[in-house]
Amino acid sequence: MPPKINAAFVEKVLVAFIRDEFGRCGCAKAVLGLSGGLDSAVSAALAVRALGPAHVLGLIMPYGQACPEDVRDAAAVARKLGLRTKTVDIAPQIDIYFAAHPTTSRVQRGNKMARERMSILYDHSAREGALVLGTSNKTELLIGYGTVYGDMACAINPVGDLYKTQMRELAARLGIPAAVRRKAPTAGLWPGQTDESEIGLPYEELDAILYNIVEGRKTRREVVEAGHAAAAVDRVLRMIRRSGFKRALPPIAKLSIRSVGHDFLYPYDRSK
Amino acid sequence: MKLALAQIVPKLGDVEANVDAHLEVLEKARKEKTELVVFPELGLTGYTLKDLVEEVALDPASDPRLRRIVARTKGLSAVVGFVEESPAEQGLFYNAAAFIADGRILHIHRKVFLPTGGIFEEAKFFAQGRDFRSFRAPFGRVGLLVCRDFLQFGSSYVHHAAGAEMIICISAAPGRGVAGGDAFETARMWELMGEAVSYFSTAFVVYANRAGSEDGVMFAGGSFVFAPGGRLVARAASVEAEIVSCHIDLSAVRKARRAWLFKRDEKPEAVWRSLERIVRASED
Repeated sequence: MPPKINAAFVEKVLVAFIRDEFGRCGCAKAVLGLSGGLDSAVSAALAVRALGPAHVLGLIMPYGQACPEDVRDAAAVARKLGLRTKTVDIAPQIDIYFAAHPTTSRVQRGNKMARERMSILYDHSAREGALVLGTSNKTELLIGYGTVYGDMACAINPVGDLYKTQMRELAARLGIPAAVRRKAPTAGLWPGQTDESEIGLPYEELDAILYNIVEGRKTRREVVEAGHAAAAVDRVLRMIRRSGFKRALPPIAKLSIRSVGHDFLYPYDRSK
Repeated sequence: MKLALAQIVPKLGDVEANVDAHLEVLEKARKEKTELVVFPELGLTGYTLKDLVEEVALDPASDPRLRRIVARTKGLSAVVGFVEESPAEQGLFYNAAAFIADGRILHIHRKVFLPTGGIFEEAKFFAQGRDFRSFRAPFGRVGLLVCRDFLQFGSSYVHHAAGAEMIICISAAPGRGVAGGDAFETARMWELMGEAVSYFSTAFVVYANRAGSEDGVMFAGGSFVFAPGGRLVARAASVEAEIVSCHIDLSAVRKARRAWLFKRDEKPEAVWRSLERIVRASED
């Protein structure tokens, strides 16, 4: 398993990080999607501590009545944190699109919905003069369990270096309601979907394997010898390999002496 | 003697703003009768520069912005981190530390060990320093190091062999590891070295790190002063900006060297001969 984090210290560091990033670009407000799940609740709680509840807008973006309990949980998180919310039902725009371009793939429908939510978030970023806060955790980023240019899109991500199991520790520290902390994690691409059934591994085991590979720099054989099923290790290694494109900017064909993405190299955080 | 660790948050790529911030700290230090102020690595520029290196580089002999800082050191000393480009070596950029005292630059150390690997890419953008040379400061013999120099323990040894009574390391060390106490786990690495070097070189070790974050990397803070014999004199906050002042008694060096004979019994010629043999063998 990844080591237990010192949640109080992590909270302090991440709050400072958010303040630093927002201060640098002269932006006081954050907007993020509140799904009713644990990750967005943690991100929201950190933003509230860094910027104050009045400066955080949580967008609740259900697909019609598909998952009413998630809407309820998102509202409960917002109430607890005291942040502003706005609900945008994405069903009309999704339905119009798929009426014109039908598909039977629920993954395709789910990805389209994730990108619709992204586009609404970025529109509100402009409306509010707010930065979009990311909610993807380290486990998801490593195995690519997210929609590229969908829920993975953000201006800054305070939680991307915390495994799911560590997110739970931080969530407890931040006082996220127990109902949200205990419910089965879901990408919400379709009703009844759960991460663990789709990934095929419980998060405890997935995180343990990832930690061995990433921080432990162990080979496949060493991870198996540490007590993990070979099939599970292979599955995780395959997921990491296949999702590399989601963790990098797209390659730009290099033609000139100095090119964007290759050797025109500037920091993200240059003082304005 | 009163000294201050200026654990500040430099603005990335904004030399003017950072000069102003340095001047403010120096002015306050002068009023408080502080004799030495140590600023972090690349305090005048910020750390994650990449191709900004050439935009923020300055010639210490002529740059008017650095002259303002030099002029503000009347009656005190300061260690300042910046990107050096001298007319003699145009187009070469050094990650440098200047020791300034009483309106004069006494010494410039160019970082020798440029971390490159993992999150670090200094050798991509900086030229490498080639020398560790201690010098006479108003209060004694001083050896300067920049960040990673300090973790390669031969660097401190060279200063020790040359008789340094104080080793000053300026740093922009990122924090890593959050499973420990109320600091990044890597903070331990720096303190361990500080404690050991101050113990076995019977010298003061002054370590000034920075705070704040750049491109998602958090700098760990935790600046410190160890007196000879591994005695912790001061420690700044982890992660957060803080200016920490403390008093040190320079006679502690003499006392430690009377009690522990490491300096007297030092044999640089034996080390040198052995190193020469090792270097020759590796060249064969």
